[in-house]
Amino acid sequence: MAEQTLTLRNLKVVFPSGMGLIRAVEGVDIDIGKGESIALVGESGCGKSVTSMSIMKLIESPPAITKMDQLTFAGDDIKDYTPSQMQSVRGKMMAMIFQDAMTSLNPVMTCGKQIDEMFMRHMQLNKKAAREETVKALELVGVPEPRKRAKNFPHELSGGMRQRVLLAMAFACMPKLIIADEPTTALDVTIQAQVLSVLRDMQKKHDVSLLVVTHDLSVVANIADTVYVMYSGKIVEKASVKQLFKQPFHPYSAGLLASVPSLSDTAGHFVQIPGSVPHPMKKPTGCYFHPRCHYAKDKCKASMPPLSAHDDGRQVRCFYPLKTNGGTSNV
Amino acid sequence: MKAVLKSIGRFFLKRFKGIRRFIKRVWAHRQGKIGLTMVTFLVIVAVFAPWIAPFDPYDVAERTTKGLPPSTTHLLGTTINTGQDIFSMLVYGTRVSLIVGVSSGVLIAIVGSVLGVMAGYIGGAVDSFIMRLVDVLLVIPTLPLVIVLTNVLGRDFWIIILIFVAIGWTGLSRTIRSLVLVLKNSNYVKAAELSGASRFHIMIRHILPGTSHLLIMSTALSSAGIMVAEAGLSFLGLGDPTAISWGKMLADAQSGGALLFGAWWWIIAPGIGIFMAVFAFMRIGIVVEEILNPRMKQSSGVYKIFKNLNSSYVEDVFNSMDEHAQIGEASSAKGGAHG
Amino acid sequence: MKKSYAIKRVLYSVFVFVIVMALNFFIPRIGVADPAERYYPPQGNMTDAQYEIIKQLTREQYGFDVSTPQQFLNYVGGLFQGDLGTSFRSGSPGVMELIVDRLPWTLVLSVSTMLLGLIFGIMIGVIAAMKRGRWQDTTLLNASTIMIALPGFFIALLLSFFLGFELEIFPAYTDPNMVSDFGWNMTAILRVIENAALPVLSMMVGSIVGYAQGTRNAVIAVTNEDFILTAKAKGLRNTTIRYKHTLRNAMLPIVTSIGMSISGLIGGQVVIEQIFNWNGMGTLFLEANNMNDYPLMMGIMLLLSGFTILAILITDLIYVLLDPRVTVGDRR
Repeated sequence: MAEQTLTLRNLKVVFPSGMGLIRAVEGVDIDIGKGESIALVGESGCGKSVTSMSIMKLIESPPAITKMDQLTFAGDDIKDYTPSQMQSVRGKMMAMIFQDAMTSLNPVMTCGKQIDEMFMRHMQLNKKAAREETVKALELVGVPEPRKRAKNFPHELSGGMRQRVLLAMAFACMPKLIIADEPTTALDVTIQAQVLSVLRDMQKKHDVSLLVVTHDLSVVANIADTVYVMYSGKIVEKASVKQLFKQPFHPYSAGLLASVPSLSDTAGHFVQIPGSVPHPMKKPTGCYFHPRCHYAKDKCKASMPPLSAHDDGRQVRCFYPLKTNGGTSNV
Repeated sequence: MKAVLKSIGRFFLKRFKGIRRFIKRVWAHRQGKIGLTMVTFLVIVAVFAPWIAPFDPYDVAERTTKGLPPSTTHLLGTTINTGQDIFSMLVYGTRVSLIVGVSSGVLIAIVGSVLGVMAGYIGGAVDSFIMRLVDVLLVIPTLPLVIVLTNVLGRDFWIIILIFVAIGWTGLSRTIRSLVLVLKNSNYVKAAELSGASRFHIMIRHILPGTSHLLIMSTALSSAGIMVAEAGLSFLGLGDPTAISWGKMLADAQSGGALLFGAWWWIIAPGIGIFMAVFAFMRIGIVVEEILNPRMKQSSGVYKIFKNLNSSYVEDVFNSMDEHAQIGEASSAKGGAHG
Repeated sequence: MKKSYAIKRVLYSVFVFVIVMALNFFIPRIGVADPAERYYPPQGNMTDAQYEIIKQLTREQYGFDVSTPQQFLNYVGGLFQGDLGTSFRSGSPGVMELIVDRLPWTLVLSVSTMLLGLIFGIMIGVIAAMKRGRWQDTTLLNASTIMIALPGFFIALLLSFFLGFELEIFPAYTDPNMVSDFGWNMTAILRVIENAALPVLSMMVGSIVGYAQGTRNAVIAVTNEDFILTAKAKGLRNTTIRYKHTLRNAMLPIVTSIGMSISGLIGGQVVIEQIFNWNGMGTLFLEANNMNDYPLMMGIMLLLSGFTILAILITDLIYVLLDPRVTVGDRR
């Protein structure tokens, strides 16, 4: 990890609501190295999307209130960048791929025009030159007949093609960091695999850093080097993919892994984590996960465990990490 | 036949209970409170009009009080040409507005929902017939059509109501129809179909209840709309000629020279009557719409909360998120967002 | 695809017009066995034999002496030749001529109300949406809360009272010379503007608030769409996002609402014309109603409905141009 692409320290985000403040993100640190692929995993509502949008400064304030200690991107301190400064970073230096290509593309504009905008905005190309670049970009992500497809409106393309249009758009200016928010959730399984492989190939080939936000551990296994597991606004575990899949330390990570059906699972049933994610305004005292945790002891109810470092750069937020008391079988 | 009556009866009984619960929800909104209070007030005024009105509004015999400005005896003054007490007329006018507005509104809810459910659930020729009818009624300008129909059918009170209903059901039935198209594919309706329930049974027991909030909203909003239309009609002198109504008061004011002689009270008073009634029903309709579809309003509310946030409170919440934060802080940071 | 959809819309509009035509033919015949009884109701001092003769004359004069289907065919045939029948007025003028005489005056009011209402309404709505939650927005919200409950004719009376009679800024009644002395010169045109001010203003207030509220909600709804987030993530400039992405999409529901509002606007104008004594189709219609002049009434109704159908058709076609997703099927 010689070169850092992104360093995020102590990100906190709250949303005001009629009943009080919604505590979406509670002090998250993220490090992404050059060419590295990071996954941010958690259930919906755990704050993972808010975290990823905060990195791009796309969280609207008002109403949200965001605070962070450090945000360094490609060697620049962008923490205090003004909105207009951010505009020239976004798209050019860091790009985003959203979940649902149908709603993420402007329905009344051709796909080509929407990619053209990237080149016209960030590379000051004219319309014609931009279109040539667009055609190339579409070709790179494996869109057949790119010149023709560029003239199509989003609704005229298939789901997989639309997602590729988003990929082409994100890679258009060859940014340093791409944030992919649930990039394949809306797609069929077979198309998912195709889109993921395009994403991974492009990322490796062009040495782009990648932050994948997902709840889907199969995506994580496919694409990430390092995983951050997030629960109720906090990072509960950070580990390399291999480490995590081999031996999760946090009971929540273990629960997530156990709930993934696998072909080797002869028992043929899902293991569920009991209970549900706490409401962001009614978080329990102590460790947020303790009401759902098999191993919770009195200490867990009383105070929040710190994110403590373990060997090989792993970090776990748990007083009683699982490494000492066996595998996931009894979760 | 008996079964049909029974199920209709049961339907309305259930609705009645639902309405009581619903009024509570409307009351919870500030706007809803305003609307409900005003409607209750208007209903009381309409029912007890003879006791509230200090003078006989029909009395045109007393010629000494012509054109008086508002005073303690004549709260809203008197008319220029006939010397009638305007406050008393205003009180009596409530009756016409409320009866025409509310009964048309309720009838529209019934007709509109029945036709909408039929169009959506039965589909086919019934659907296209009803929807073509809606399209046709939507392109004929309403007020001229009402005028022509009153000319042909007569200007009796009830005929006017029926005309309003015959024209006013279109919007609701279209909305209900699209809702039914969604509900039709829902699992519980499919289950009822599989278990062999009759079409009529499914429409009454499974589909109509799914539209009940919409019906209350429609009743409130179309009552308001029809009160405006009725006022317009009687303003043109085409309403029921025997009744005192706010629209007719305005027409009398205009023809009686209120504008020319500066008798502003004669114009303002009925205007306020119309405004109050329409406003009250609109509030209720809008609150129900908000309950049905809360997204729009919430967003604006959040900005207000944001503006009123106490920065030190936000700071406390942020600090409580830090690693070294102590036990209990997380829970103490709840509540009191308005700081 | 688009072309076939447009053709379908045009054909459907023609179909609706035919139904409206049939209704128009049918309405005067409601409740009477013989349309002659509607056109010439029995008078108190008439014997049956006398009335029978009068009825026969009426039938002959208005073409009721053939079978009902034949009457309908004659009616439709007349329409195609621009013949809406003859009015009851003395001299039996053609309905068409009477209407053509008043039509431009009505259009002056409705078109200017429509245009001014749209321009100001959309402008205010866009501003309110952009300043969401701030005073511009709350003012619009409060204004529309109040305006929506005030009928146009009451606003007209207030304006006529305060601006017309009390302050004498604009004429409270239409100057009869406006019509009789009209010519294409500055004085005459200024006189039209002066006289049209209050009627247009009283209709405009409501439609401005209505369009503004609709525009605001449409813009805010689009602002919450995912593709606006995409546009921001692309680093596009605020102006590009606002005009190329937000407004372009917000236009769609606005265009639809314009089509929907036209029928109400035309209906409401009848009362406004009456209040200001404006020399348009609205007053003509009320005159016809007072004289039970059915051919004239039904002629005006048909024309107003025709205008509404045409306006809705135009907005529908504009919608098709704006929204690439509309290709087949009915979008309603």
